[in-house]
Amino acid sequence: MDKLLANICASLNIAVFCQRTNGAFQLLSHTPDWLVFFLGQSVSMEAILTDAFPYLTCFIDDAEQHWQARNATPLSSGVWVEIDELGNEIAIEANALWVDGQAVLLLNNLGEKYRKEVSHLQQLREGLLTQEKLENEVQKRTLKIKQREEEIAIKLVSLTSYRDEETGAHVKRIGLYAAAMGKALGWDTQQIDDIRIAAPMHDIGKIGIPDRILLKKGKLTSTEFAIMKRHTEIGAKMLQDSHIPVLDMAADIALCHHEKWDGSGYPRGLIGEEIPVSARITAIVDIYDALVHERVYKKALSEAEALELMGSMTDSHLDAKLFEVFLGLLPVMRRIRQEVNEINELLVSY
Amino acid sequence: MIQQKICLLGSFSVGKTSLIRRYVDSLFTEKYLTTVGVKIDKKQLEFNGKTHSLMIWDIAGEDDFTSIRTAYLRGMSGYIIVIDPTRPHSYETALSIHEMVKTTVGELPAVFSLNKADLKPTWQLETPQHQHLQQMGHPIVETSAKQNIGVETMFLKLVEKLGGQHG
Repeated sequence: MDKLLANICASLNIAVFCQRTNGAFQLLSHTPDWLVFFLGQSVSMEAILTDAFPYLTCFIDDAEQHWQARNATPLSSGVWVEIDELGNEIAIEANALWVDGQAVLLLNNLGEKYRKEVSHLQQLREGLLTQEKLENEVQKRTLKIKQREEEIAIKLVSLTSYRDEETGAHVKRIGLYAAAMGKALGWDTQQIDDIRIAAPMHDIGKIGIPDRILLKKGKLTSTEFAIMKRHTEIGAKMLQDSHIPVLDMAADIALCHHEKWDGSGYPRGLIGEEIPVSARITAIVDIYDALVHERVYKKALSEAEALELMGSMTDSHLDAKLFEVFLGLLPVMRRIRQEVNEINELLVSY
Repeated sequence: MIQQKICLLGSFSVGKTSLIRRYVDSLFTEKYLTTVGVKIDKKQLEFNGKTHSLMIWDIAGEDDFTSIRTAYLRGMSGYIIVIDPTRPHSYETALSIHEMVKTTVGELPAVFSLNKADLKPTWQLETPQHQHLQQMGHPIVETSAKQNIGVETMFLKLVEKLGGQHG
């Protein structure tokens, strides 16, 4: 190796080896000081580099393939770190290439270049750690806000059960049935949580209906019924414009749970999919739960009778496709009925 | 003597280097110094009457800027995946690394380390995540390089799983 090349190698901290037939390597360049510690006596002879640098065991197969392909483009091993005789870290990178009919391996002590790379990555990773911490904190606080929203919503739900005959268990079941429907429809977790809280608020507007109408035992007159129907709009007004997703959904449900698939419902006479899906779901589960449970003014139907009646309401009142989904979930709905059946369930668990 | 190559894998800043420093040199430093590339340490231990020579590969953690070269895994007898449960993201990274290893080199003995046990009150690993790890069937060891908790156990569990196989 001529003097110029030797000086270049020394300046770049590169040691140049060529591979011999027995897998050992012959050093072609002058021996850089940093290499002596690792190669010891073999520095002047042929060296088994994978013994000196175990890291090369994961590179040598790729290097062999590179040499066999007589590829003149350097193939990098990636960086590894060794500890020198003074306990200092030395970062080394190997490059395999084919030159003038020889398999050549360069070992490069990266020196300052490595330290700069480490410093750069250190900064980037510290930045990532800070970002992770902040995102984590935002998530935790968002969850807290969500929990508070739910608490407020649940308090609102409990108001309705003080006014009419609906039990706490009924409103809780409505939420659970509706959440099961949302899950079966492939909704994301957030939407499922929302409808679980929002569906029970469908009748919250009844709080604005006078007792003489709300609690009347007999049939309502047409005027009274017109007033009663206003509970949908009252409920929606109570819940809307909060910019809280769960209350926005609850407002939709309160307003539209008496709409019918054929457009004959109230208050706006919406048709088919104009009715928000959350309200169509709530209509189905509310009717189901009302039919299979006893009220002061009626006896409970058997589940078979209830489902037959609901089946006859599809296409006129209920969304037939959603009703199919509901039927597919009957084992789930039955379990909810069995589990949530105490009058005080709502007050206790909420 | 049984020679075995084991790799420590995981997200960046989960404590892989600290665990190795604690195990090999009985040292710990609080300062986070990122690893670039690979560092290899050696440690001998006696297990079941046999001497094991462990070649411990400390592989730079995965992040948005670097990913693990599959070549690092060549000749590996087993591996330890380190999770920092104070950082939920490191759990996700651990799972993806575990999948990558299985795809690249097949099923090998492995141990999961839940590191930074000294910060346990701030761990954020949820029960389903813990159950998911358990279902994978690999030992899970709670460790702290800082307080020297579980470090020796973690390596011993892996050696126990490695048995007499050579790397």
